[in-house]
Amino acid sequence: MSEEVEPRYYPVRLVWTGGKSGDLEVEGKVIIKTGIPSGSPEEDKYHSPEDLFVASATMCYMNGFVEFTRKMRIEFKSFECDAVGTLEKVGRSFEITKIEMKAKVVIGSEDIRKKIDRALELAAKYCFVGNSMRCPIIHDTEVVVE
Amino acid sequence: MTDDAHEYLVTVDWKNSRVGDLIIEGKPKVEVSAPPEFDGPEGIISPEDLFVAAASSCLMTTFVTFTKKMRFDFKSFSCEGHGTLERVGKGFQFTKLLLKAKVEVESEELKPKAERALELAGKYCLVSNSMKCPTEHENEVVVG
Repeated sequence: MSEEVEPRYYPVRLVWTGGKSGDLEVEGKVIIKTGIPSGSPEEDKYHSPEDLFVASATMCYMNGFVEFTRKMRIEFKSFECDAVGTLEKVGRSFEITKIEMKAKVVIGSEDIRKKIDRALELAAKYCFVGNSMRCPIIHDTEVVVE
Repeated sequence: MTDDAHEYLVTVDWKNSRVGDLIIEGKPKVEVSAPPEFDGPEGIISPEDLFVAAASSCLMTTFVTFTKKMRFDFKSFSCEGHGTLERVGKGFQFTKLLLKAKVEVESEELKPKAERALELAGKYCLVSNSMKCPTEHENEVVVG
């Protein structure tokens, strides 16, 4: 992770395309169709704001894990994480109140299990997207030797 | 699960280096990775992008919901989301989110309604309400 202290900016642009849908553009990257279905079956395939929210935390957790395995100089064979965000009514509006993550890591030998556990723990602690959210994030991890 | 609670399941499957696939059932796969400033490759959607995107997308869907409730039409909507990530203690955190929404309406009479719908959308945007950082809004309504 960079030691840079300057803030970093993330601009995105969203252009409404009809109904409750829009094209989400980040310069130089693929367009993500986003929204919530309001009639057309095509819209069922669009990523909802809630999907993106939960995805951002999950993805950040993976990046943190990869980062810590590099620092600790350990290799893993695969990483997969399922995450469930819970949206609940809080007062008059809704809020994501909880994200539960289940990560599964496959490694080549028993010897590095402890290090992998530690990398997963640090990834959760330093996940900056997760740390930018109000809800608690619960981590369940499984490390398998194959 | 009642109407008062909903669940969202996403899967991230690591591919190589800092790149993985974001998988949500019935939706297109999105390739995601760490951004270049955190040692990821160029040109791939990052979690930071998704975080800002979630708030922008939620503002839009909430705005549309209020326009339906208020029974008026608009011609276009666009929103620029700017997230600021800063070092806080030993890690990083989003410290600010700026959402600049621009709405085009048919006539001058609709302007106050569109402004009100944008204001309510900002207030009831569930994604930004789920974030720790403050969200600032710059709304612009034009007749076009």
